[in-house]
Order: sequence, then C-alpha cells, then structure tokens
Amino acid sequence: MAGRVDELSRMLAEGEEEAEIDLTPMLDVVFIMLIFFIVTASFLNEVGVDATRPPSVQTPPTDSKSIAIRIYSSGQIVIDGLSVDPRAVSAHITRRKAESPGATLAVLVGRGARTELVVGVIDAARDSGFRGIAIPVSELQE
Amino acid sequence: MRRSILDNSSGKGDDEEGINLTPMLDVVFIMLIFFIVTASFVKEAGIDVSRPHAKTAVSKKNANILIAISASDEIWMDRRRIDRNAVRGQIERMHAENPEGSVLILADRDSHGEALMAVMAAARQAKVNVSISARQD
Repeated sequence: MAGRVDELSRMLAEGEEEAEIDLTPMLDVVFIMLIFFIVTASFLNEVGVDATRPPSVQTPPTDSKSIAIRIYSSGQIVIDGLSVDPRAVSAHITRRKAESPGATLAVLVGRGARTELVVGVIDAARDSGFRGIAIPVSELQE
Repeated sequence: MRRSILDNSSGKGDDEEGINLTPMLDVVFIMLIFFIVTASFVKEAGIDVSRPHAKTAVSKKNANILIAISASDEIWMDRRRIDRNAVRGQIERMHAENPEGSVLILADRDSHGEALMAVMAAARQAKVNVSISARQD
C-alpha cells in the first residue's frame, strides 16, 4: 500500500503520461449491472379492457338517460328490465346507443356471474361506442 | 485478489499495447442505460389463467400490478395466494413502489363476479386505475 502511494506520488511529481485511473473495478460493476437489467427485463405486453370510469365532467350530459345491464348469477342478462340472450347483447346495446347517443351505461354484476360474460358485455358496450362504463362494485346482484 | 478478464494492466505486459476499450465501453453504457430505462419491474401474478375474449381490448402499457383470479376464485398477487381482504393493502404497497403503474386483473373466464368485484373495489379504494385483461383474437 505504502509502495503504491509512493509510486503514485512519484508519477504525479514527474507528470508522467502513464498515471491513468484503473477502470477495471468500475467496468466489473457496469457489466454486473448490465447483466442484471438484461435478465430482469420482461417486455411483457398485456391487453385488456378499462374498468375504471373516467372522472365525471362538471357539465351534465345532454341526455341523462342511463342504461342498466344486469348480469345475474344464473347467466341471465337483463337490459333495462328486458331479458336478452348473451349473443344478442351487442345488437341490443348498439340499438340503444343509436336511440339515445348521450346515455350512460352501467354494468351490474351478480355474485356468481362468470367473468367471460362480464367482459363480453363490457366489450359489447365498448364496441357500440360507450366509454366510461360504470361498474358499481358495492352492491352485487344475486 | 480477483482479477477481471478486462484487467490488462496486470503482469509485465506493456500498457500501450492494450486493446482500446473505449468504443466497447460506449456500447456497454448505452445498453446499460437502455435496460435501466426500460426496466418496469412488473410483479407477475404467479398463475396462468385463460383470459376472456374481447375485441375492443387495447394494449396496457403501464400495467405493473397484476392480480390473477383463478377459475376457483382464488386471488393471486406477486406469486402468492392472498386473502380477499388483503388485496387492498397489497395494491397500496405495490402502488407506492411504482406510482405510475395501474392494476390489471387477469381474471379466468370461469371466475365469478364476487371475486372480480372484490378486487375492483380494492383497487378503487386504493385509487388506482383498473383494467381487466383479455384476449384480442
């Protein structure tokens, strides 16, 4: 250690070109960091449908009509009191959207309703142009 | 003492004959910065689910809190099965670690509304955006 310091001070005194910083430990660290980040990089690409209602705007909608779609545990889908076949949901919602373009939509999910059905209904509503679909989570249907 | 493979200043070889490492170092640093910037630290849910189909599904870039719901309504987060009541705390903790992320629910198509709504309620209470994962094809 003392010899190394002597050597360095001698080099500094003489102003030699060879007095370079040893980069090796830094390089070791950099390589280890590089390998760590390469290994932990995941690059996953997930797709999904939004289930969060965007914050409500202050101005009331021109058409305050609200459409309620209930999905019961039995798999039955009821749109505003009218029982609808799961395959006909999309057509139904599209028609309702055309009738009242400013309407809001709520999906009320039953305790035992299958996720496939829930996502199917949300998808159909989004496909018909509804955005900001309300999904109340506090009170569940039977 | 441990010696690195890059250590060419060891022994009695001349320093002036060493390979010029500067271009390699430039590349290594650029790669390092790239991987640091793109690192997202997603916590995988831990189980594989068969997602429901949705043709309006869109890519969720910043979904880094993954919550899986199995067909038997078990909730999985961070490779652990967790209790329904503990979901909110776990979401809040993970959200605090990475405040830009949002929640993605990987619900099995045979899971039920009760579990799905419980997870959504927890995410809303934690004030984090929620999406439900789907297949697009």
